[in-house]
Amino acid sequence: MPVKLRGMLKRAGAARTDPFWTDFIHTPPIDPRNLVTEAFKGASEDAVNPVRAEIHSPNVMAQHIKELGRFWGADQVGIVRLTATRESELPFGILAVVKAEYDPRQATGIGGQTPAMKGLFATFCVAAYIRELGYQARRSGDNGDRLAAIAGLGALDREGHLVSRAFGRKAYVAEVIRTELPLEPDGLDDGQ
Amino acid sequence: MPARSSVASPNPTAGVTQPPADYCCDPAANAEFPPPDFGRTVRLVGTVANVDPRETPHPKNSRGELGAPLFNYFKNTVASDPIARVIFPTHTRDWRNVFRMVLQRAPKGTSNPDQRAVAEPAQMSAHIKRAGRYFGADVVGIGKAHPSMLYAGGLRDEGTSAAAEQDGPTPEELCRRYPHVIVAAVAWDYALGRAHRHHIGDAVYDSALMQTVMILAALEGCIRELGYTAVRGRVNPQAAALAAGVGELGRNGLIISRDYGARIQLNDVILTDLPLQPDHPIDIGVEDFCRICRKCAETCPTNSISFEGKQVYNGVEKYKIKWETCYKLRAFTTDHWAACLTCATVCPFTKPNVWWRALAVRTLSLTPIPFRPPLVRGLKWMDDRFYGRVPNKRVRWLSYDTGVKPGVKGCTVAGCTAQHGDEHGNGKVEAPRGDVGYYMPLKENVNRFVKRA
Repeated sequence: MPVKLRGMLKRAGAARTDPFWTDFIHTPPIDPRNLVTEAFKGASEDAVNPVRAEIHSPNVMAQHIKELGRFWGADQVGIVRLTATRESELPFGILAVVKAEYDPRQATGIGGQTPAMKGLFATFCVAAYIRELGYQARRSGDNGDRLAAIAGLGALDREGHLVSRAFGRKAYVAEVIRTELPLEPDGLDDGQ
Repeated sequence: MPARSSVASPNPTAGVTQPPADYCCDPAANAEFPPPDFGRTVRLVGTVANVDPRETPHPKNSRGELGAPLFNYFKNTVASDPIARVIFPTHTRDWRNVFRMVLQRAPKGTSNPDQRAVAEPAQMSAHIKRAGRYFGADVVGIGKAHPSMLYAGGLRDEGTSAAAEQDGPTPEELCRRYPHVIVAAVAWDYALGRAHRHHIGDAVYDSALMQTVMILAALEGCIRELGYTAVRGRVNPQAAALAAGVGELGRNGLIISRDYGARIQLNDVILTDLPLQPDHPIDIGVEDFCRICRKCAETCPTNSISFEGKQVYNGVEKYKIKWETCYKLRAFTTDHWAACLTCATVCPFTKPNVWWRALAVRTLSLTPIPFRPPLVRGLKWMDDRFYGRVPNKRVRWLSYDTGVKPGVKGCTVAGCTAQHGDEHGNGKVEAPRGDVGYYMPLKENVNRFVKRA
């Protein structure tokens, strides 16, 4: 049986046989602190190592960052250079895409937020690694779907959501990490 | 027999006395909590005293009772490797860069006052397991809580700490209130994890630990949203994993699971009042395998694993390792690695979960017990033949390479044009050839001064 069909049947079976599944996916928590993602809302991003490490050339560092992102749970990782940014802003954006059975923007239950949790884990660890190398890395409010499309991870649909090459519409772009670590980008964002 | 008491220690700072308890193997002696079933590898044969959490290795070391080198390793060492600084809470430069630490310091949520009714505990068990796997756990098990599994002392708060307190509920009271344990674990990747005694092995091991912590926090949130309580830090994870059917206890002192062998990360256990249907211990043949195999005992760099049979310790018959020698090695290897993992990596059960491994485990578990020894000898021979007595395959990952001798600086990464300088002013180090990794000849050195267990 094809893997895709097996997954669909499994999901349908879970919803039918598990009376708690729909609430798990769709009912927002009574106390938001029961969500793992909530614990990181005000997390500090200032702990940059004052001693900068010796780093590889930008193309090798880009490979390493992508490899680390996948190691920490992202399914696809892309890098863009934001050319239209102000000098004070960090020029590189790192995009982590996670396979999402349910879109966390609509499925607000603890289960529905699982892709956001997995994406947070990958982006937090990658950003912390960059800070430990002595370079700034911060979450940003950039539109992750648009930047992921620029990085070549997929295309945008009419609503502006990413349709991934690997997972189609079942893709969730985690919060964009902006960094000053020299990386070789997959695409350039000139603000157009 | 002394009276049962909830008082862990008359002096909290001393932490040397254990509370007396009488969880004995005689079912008639304790009708409310009959002896738990831990499977074939672990058996209660006498009186079990609850272990004081302050007497476990890390708290002992935090108080400096294991000597200055280990205390400094644990408290005053910042890892030289940037990934290690992100994953090890004890060797980090700044806790704000460690996922686990940020999560642990965040305020906990409250239980939903509108408790969800559970008509069928079996349905809830299936839901919790499905949810755990959906969060990313590789193994989820549910067991029945027993006072002998719990640490001594009371409960400081609802689910954040293992610290004992004098006037908290006793283990029996906790088991009455929270009758089930939930065990969830993430398995680490074998391809990278075979780079044991290396930064790569450390990264794999502790990243799985961080993921396990995240999944347990998510499961806790689920339970609270259903209107029930989740308590952490009170249960011995290995005892709970045995009762929950996650695996069996091997000679190396690790839980060996059906699909992943010893490469699962048991961080903590959730104790809960959620109505659940517990699983039963499993028999995958670890008892028969460990009696014959002894690969972990042969390869342990510190001779901490016994070649002999099981021992009775604290009323429990099991394989017992010498944790003191296992632990003390760490202070002297901290520049190159933190987690040894040799015993976990060499274990035949730990090998990749491909069809022939699954077939071998299935065959072993279906074979009648008297006929297992010859099968075990054959399987061990095959494991030695195909994976080697000690895995020493060269592993390359990011800028790490187990083919390079530890301590050698410089860049061996293909395609890197950066000028990395070493102490001699050379920018590049020529990468060694071959497919064999360099592993420090620790065993030969340790044999001089540590006797076999």
